[in-house]
Amino acid sequence: MDEIIRLENLVKIYDTGAVKVLGLNKINLSIKKGEFVAIMGHSGSGKSTLMNILGCLDKPSLGNYYLDGKNVAVLEGDELSEIRNKKIGFVFQSFNLISRMSIEKNVEVPLIYARVKASERKKKAMELLELVGLGNRTEHQPNELSGGQRQRVAIARALANDPPLILADEPTGNLDSRASIEIMEMFAKLHQRGVTVVVVTHEENIANYTHRIITFSDGVIKDDRINENPTPISEDASGLMYRMS
Amino acid sequence: MIENMKMAIASLRANKMRSFLTMLGIIIGIGSVIAITSIGDTMRKMFSDVYKDIGVTQSYLYIGYWVEDTRDSDWFTMDDFETYKEVFGDRLQYIDASNMASVDVQTEITQKKFDIYGVDYNYIDVQPVDIVYGRYLNESDIKGRKPNCVMEASAAAEIFGTENAVGKTIRVPINGNITDLNIIGIFKKEVSPFQKMMMGNTGRGEAYIPWTLMNSPDDLIYNCRYFANINMDEAELKQFNAEFKAYVEKQKGRNPGDYFLNSAQEQMGQMDTMLGGISAAVGGIAAISLLVGGIGIMNIMLVSVTERTREIGIRKALGARTKDIMIQFLTESAVLSAIGGTIGILLAIGVLYIAGKIFSLPIVVKPQIVLLAVGFSALVGIFFGIFPAKKAAEKDPIVALRYE
Repeated sequence: MDEIIRLENLVKIYDTGAVKVLGLNKINLSIKKGEFVAIMGHSGSGKSTLMNILGCLDKPSLGNYYLDGKNVAVLEGDELSEIRNKKIGFVFQSFNLISRMSIEKNVEVPLIYARVKASERKKKAMELLELVGLGNRTEHQPNELSGGQRQRVAIARALANDPPLILADEPTGNLDSRASIEIMEMFAKLHQRGVTVVVVTHEENIANYTHRIITFSDGVIKDDRINENPTPISEDASGLMYRMS
Repeated sequence: MIENMKMAIASLRANKMRSFLTMLGIIIGIGSVIAITSIGDTMRKMFSDVYKDIGVTQSYLYIGYWVEDTRDSDWFTMDDFETYKEVFGDRLQYIDASNMASVDVQTEITQKKFDIYGVDYNYIDVQPVDIVYGRYLNESDIKGRKPNCVMEASAAAEIFGTENAVGKTIRVPINGNITDLNIIGIFKKEVSPFQKMMMGNTGRGEAYIPWTLMNSPDDLIYNCRYFANINMDEAELKQFNAEFKAYVEKQKGRNPGDYFLNSAQEQMGQMDTMLGGISAAVGGIAAISLLVGGIGIMNIMLVSVTERTREIGIRKALGARTKDIMIQFLTESAVLSAIGGTIGILLAIGVLYIAGKIFSLPIVVKPQIVLLAVGFSALVGIFFGIFPAKKAAEKDPIVALRYE
């Protein structure tokens, strides 16, 4: 099974009481393992709705969603929690790190819910922080780091359980241009490693790092094209996964 | 579980002032419950110690004041006492007529009021004293109705100028006759400060003489005062008292219930029950503050949950199940109140200890109460934490993640 995501006639209806809104209208989509995909669209296009469903934070109203071969559209509450824990690594626009907790403990959180032993958790967390170039600041708290550094912690955390899918929702939205480059290059490197990365963004230059750009509008896919010339990544980028083989 | 507790403690430390203020209700609640029940237990022990000194197995037996047709035969004779001793053997360790005379004693040096008690030679077995000079009364003194007496040391020192008054005499009226009593022994008696307080310091001297001296052989004895064997346990004592009373009633040809048995055991039991009831009632009232403390915890946990809505959303996104969030917050409130309870206990024990030293009282703190209190405070935390924890666990992750 080389498909990581498969959407079949996916529909999402929002019932706001008085009015029913069609968020997603019969979406059919296939993303293979190892792809680097951008999902673009203006607000209201349905990309956020899609993001929530892909991330198993929300359930579709109709249709099927096969994640790594399993139909998660029929799953409920705690089962979805398990899927999120094992299969998906989230990276959010506003980082969403837990304050008043060291970044090392932050990275451990998915491992805790995966019921990993304490000693192994610490080892893994330290490795991942080393990977993203923060090995020397593991005891610091998020508020002591810059935006770019925080997002790097978020990426380390997303990788904690070695998920097959990384979902990033406007990951550079709160970053300056230099940090944005840093983060996108990190995603690109992850992709090189074989991780499937899906980035939701409304910025073209961010989308250009990816190899496939899907554009949403009014709840349907307007465009789905291969990006022939993705933005190249610098080889010697400091603090970036230089331990990667 | 350990991980949860570590997280809970970290979370509480992050907001020390708030955690402390929340704990205050539990601290005060548990502290006051411990203090009050301990004070109650202490008082019960003090009273039971007093009764031990007096002699728990001591009782008085006489024809009931409600009996209208009292006859001379209802009262006792010395022969009756001999009979009882034969019948009950070891179980009846001591018996006398509970005679006492308050007299003025005049010596060269000074004058002092004395309480003179008529006792049997084995009175020292049931009311031990230390003989510091001379000897105690013996069987020959009793049988021979000899005018010998043992006096308490400090009283002797007062009237003779020295504790060692053996060989001296005092002239007092006994049973209507002026009698010269020979002092044949001096004793010292240990009395606890509380007992002194309870029994009152009469300022009168104390001396013992043969009880046979205070009664003529054919006199009627109105009071029967006896000690059951001092090694009896509660049940045996109760049994014996009942048997003895029944025997006497039968012997005197009276109906059951005609005689009145006034036992130290019963009095102590009543006192104990009353004190126990009072301290339980007041302790119960104090426990109400625990309730208030619990409500305080619930309040703060609700605030905490709302404040951490975002965090809950993040955790759920990362894979936390409903149960995980629930346990996380329940642990926090349980730890909060367990710590509060522990502080309350330590505070209570500290205060009690200091008070005990100041008032020289033997403070009793039962470990079972302490354990119960800690356990109870954790339960309070869990109970009042359930509602907030549920609210946390049921938050929708998408909504929670959007929370500012």
